[in-house]
Amino acid sequence: MLRISSLILFAALAALALFPRGATAGQSGLAFVLNSGAASLSLIDVATEREIRRIPLAREPHHMALSPDHTGLLVGDTVANTLYVFNPQTGALMRQLTVADPYQLQFSPDKKWFVVNGLARNQVDIYDAASMHLLHRVHLAAMPSHINFRPDSAVVFISLQQTNRVAAIATASGAVLWNVEVGSTPAGVLWHDGKLLVGLMGADEVAVLNPENGQIERRIPTGRGAHNLFLSPDGKIIYATNRVDGTISLLDAKTLRVTRSFHVTGGPDDLDFAPDGKIWATLRFAHRVAVIDPQTGSYHTITVGRSPHGIWLNTHDRFPVQISARSPSE
Amino acid sequence: MSDPFDTVAGWVQEHLLLPLLYHLGLMAWEEVAYGWALFATYGAAQVALMYAICVPLERWRPVERWNDQRAVLTDVLYTIIARVGLLPLVSFVAFYRVQVALNGWLTDHGYVPPTLERFIPALLGHPAVTFLCYALLLDLADYWRHRLSHRFSWWWALHSLHHAQRQMTFWSDDRNHILDDLISALWFGAIALLIGVPPMQFPLLILLLRLLESISHANVRLDFGWLGERLLISPRFHRAHHGVLAAGERSCNYGAVFPFWDMLFGTADFSKSYPATGDPSAEEVLATGSYLAQQWAGLRRFMRSLRRIPEPQ
Repeated sequence: MLRISSLILFAALAALALFPRGATAGQSGLAFVLNSGAASLSLIDVATEREIRRIPLAREPHHMALSPDHTGLLVGDTVANTLYVFNPQTGALMRQLTVADPYQLQFSPDKKWFVVNGLARNQVDIYDAASMHLLHRVHLAAMPSHINFRPDSAVVFISLQQTNRVAAIATASGAVLWNVEVGSTPAGVLWHDGKLLVGLMGADEVAVLNPENGQIERRIPTGRGAHNLFLSPDGKIIYATNRVDGTISLLDAKTLRVTRSFHVTGGPDDLDFAPDGKIWATLRFAHRVAVIDPQTGSYHTITVGRSPHGIWLNTHDRFPVQISARSPSE
Repeated sequence: MSDPFDTVAGWVQEHLLLPLLYHLGLMAWEEVAYGWALFATYGAAQVALMYAICVPLERWRPVERWNDQRAVLTDVLYTIIARVGLLPLVSFVAFYRVQVALNGWLTDHGYVPPTLERFIPALLGHPAVTFLCYALLLDLADYWRHRLSHRFSWWWALHSLHHAQRQMTFWSDDRNHILDDLISALWFGAIALLIGVPPMQFPLLILLLRLLESISHANVRLDFGWLGERLLISPRFHRAHHGVLAAGERSCNYGAVFPFWDMLFGTADFSKSYPATGDPSAEEVLATGSYLAQQWAGLRRFMRSLRRIPEPQ
């Protein structure tokens, strides 16, 4: 019988009194940057590109997810075993929840499931998104890292960094559908055009998998340390960050061929897209955010805290697109 | 403008460690490697700062002068291994699977390690104060760990390596048996399960605390005055703990940074003497042997203790 437990709701009134009530950034919006090595969240005014507030967190935040109703931005603090819920418009802290090691987190497209990867406990937790009740805990070796869903939300894909594998889990039952070796240190996972793209951080390529069985159908050379994958808002380009080479590869979304590469030093990791078309990317080892012009590849940087990881701009109402809008039949 | 230490650590990660990890097929450890790069950068700074402060101090008012300081060189090696993070890195990787299994087991059984902020919500949003609270609590934990290491003969057999040094200097702080370090790690790991780990975003504060611990071992006639002695542990205060008459079960001044716990639990000695240091019951190799010889001798002493075999005279 599966153990069902619920998140402990932590009294937030004292926290609300102590934490800043949020920042205002005019009409353009805020960028949320998680400084994993500094236990803080940087709020940056997107228009002025200035950090307007740095919110202290407890220990080590890495990733975040926008709630399905867009009223809360959930931030995972791994070592503190805490999920913070921030107002995505103002950055004000609304409440906290106790969750073990919330490294990577994501809501399903149908808003029914909330999945949390516990990287340092080799567990993947599937919650009912509405009630936040834990429904399934799947033990997977090892280092469950990134998450992505099939568009119908029936399956969630997890990269297992230490064992060079990717697993597919049925969200309703928690059953592992397949768990296969795909290549060295798989990281970012992206559903696209009926296929599963996986960045291989221990190699220089993106693997294209058959989502039915995890078999590798194609390999796309990008750069050493292919880490994470992001679909542009217009659906035409997939950006792949290459951690070791310090580059960002641009893949044509239809052909998956690399058309260009940007040289971005400092360990590009996560990224998001600004209304003006610029790409905002966290530079893990330079302690900065790069604002990149995708037309020219030139960029300038904004100083944030130590080891910035997750980034999200509230100038749109979605997390950086991880799921292609096109179904397999199109 | 970025912190210079962060800049150095980031450069080391990007240009040295990542290419090496990639080449060795170890990219799964890249986050750990980055943590080590930060640790090592601050550790190197600690060593440099220790040297810059303590060498002049020891030359200014030494307690003892030695013609042959080869025994001190071994302590230099202990310091570099510890402060630059080689030992912590190796032990972290070696025990990673155990730690992950433990984390998973605890989570499966509904236990999520808390942080101090969960017990004291007022600490939320005040990381510097939180850090100070942890520093006090962990210093208290270290007092009792240290006191118990003198109390139990099998533990003293390991810890005696630290006390065997007759030429105690600021390099002696990290002079420990590997098994004694392992016990410390387990001790503080257990503490972390109860109150969480401290905020680590204050490397400069950590550097300062470690510097104080090193200074407390310095070969210098220095105390901090009546009030100062009761606020921070001085070289005089800690030297009393290393005195030859204090080696073993009945000792004094067990504290690492703050003397509060010795005062509270009745083990504080504020007398103004500067005794000779060392452990008369220890084999000579524990005092003057090489790093490996000391570790091996410490292990033999530990095994004899477990088997209740008397120490050789």
